[in-house]
Amino acid sequence: MNMKTLATIIVFSTLGIAFSAQAHEPKEHMKDAEKPDCAAMKNMDHSKMDMNDPVMQAMMKQCMNDTHNNDSEKDQAQADHQDNEKSSGEQHSEHQH
Amino acid sequence: MSALTTFIKSLVITAVIALVGGGLFLYSGLYPMGADVPHNRLTYWLLETLRERSVARAASDIKVPGDLNAPERLLAGGADYNDMCAGCHLKPGKTESDFTLGLYPAPPNLTLAGDEHGHEHTGDTENDDEAIKRQFWIIKHGIKASGMPAWGPGHDDERIWNMVAFLKRLPELSPDQYQILTARGQDSEGHGH
Repeated sequence: MNMKTLATIIVFSTLGIAFSAQAHEPKEHMKDAEKPDCAAMKNMDHSKMDMNDPVMQAMMKQCMNDTHNNDSEKDQAQADHQDNEKSSGEQHSEHQH
Repeated sequence: MSALTTFIKSLVITAVIALVGGGLFLYSGLYPMGADVPHNRLTYWLLETLRERSVARAASDIKVPGDLNAPERLLAGGADYNDMCAGCHLKPGKTESDFTLGLYPAPPNLTLAGDEHGHEHTGDTENDDEAIKRQFWIIKHGIKASGMPAWGPGHDDERIWNMVAFLKRLPELSPDQYQILTARGQDSEGHGH
């Protein structure tokens, strides 16, 4: 067996192992990922909520991440909107001259 | 002396008859193998005892991590449970799926407490510890001829412990709590924040 054939076999078997491992990564499940329905927390009985309970802490953590993402999205959208307004304003002033 | 010889001869003849009879039954194809026909009580007891004793022995040396109650474990394990297990082992608000109806033995409904799905393991710490080791071992190694795969080859021990941590709390969760804990969300990639 020459070096070229050996190298081809090694490359293909390495790729095979890499792809099979990748299939089990959490990223693979992100395609159909559902967002947490944090609005449902408002309807839960707050008197029964124990802030020291790991389930409660996990839900808070999950929803804080979600709120953070939503805020980031809003900030990004607002920034984009401001950029658009700015550029359209510049274009408008160019037209006036 | 002759009595002993007669006894040994009888024993050998019985063993030969049992072997030949067993072989004939095996090759006759008479035993129903369809998943829609339950085992008879003797076969069921034999297989269940074999499974439970084997798992208990193999899981006895497993060391349980001290931080199983960490919220991060619930989030990471919840998302994996929803993707990999809920189809067979259900989620709060569901009582059956095609898999629970069709698989034999039927996969246990893990949204119910242990004693409700056939394992007396709640209430005392020693039994809880054994149940936790048992769950870890079963998720990692699977169960032969039951439909339960071994997740160990594609998932490291930490990821399996996260699922065990989630299973511990699953029977108490409402459908809303389950949805929040298991959603992968936007930046919940592995929940390793």
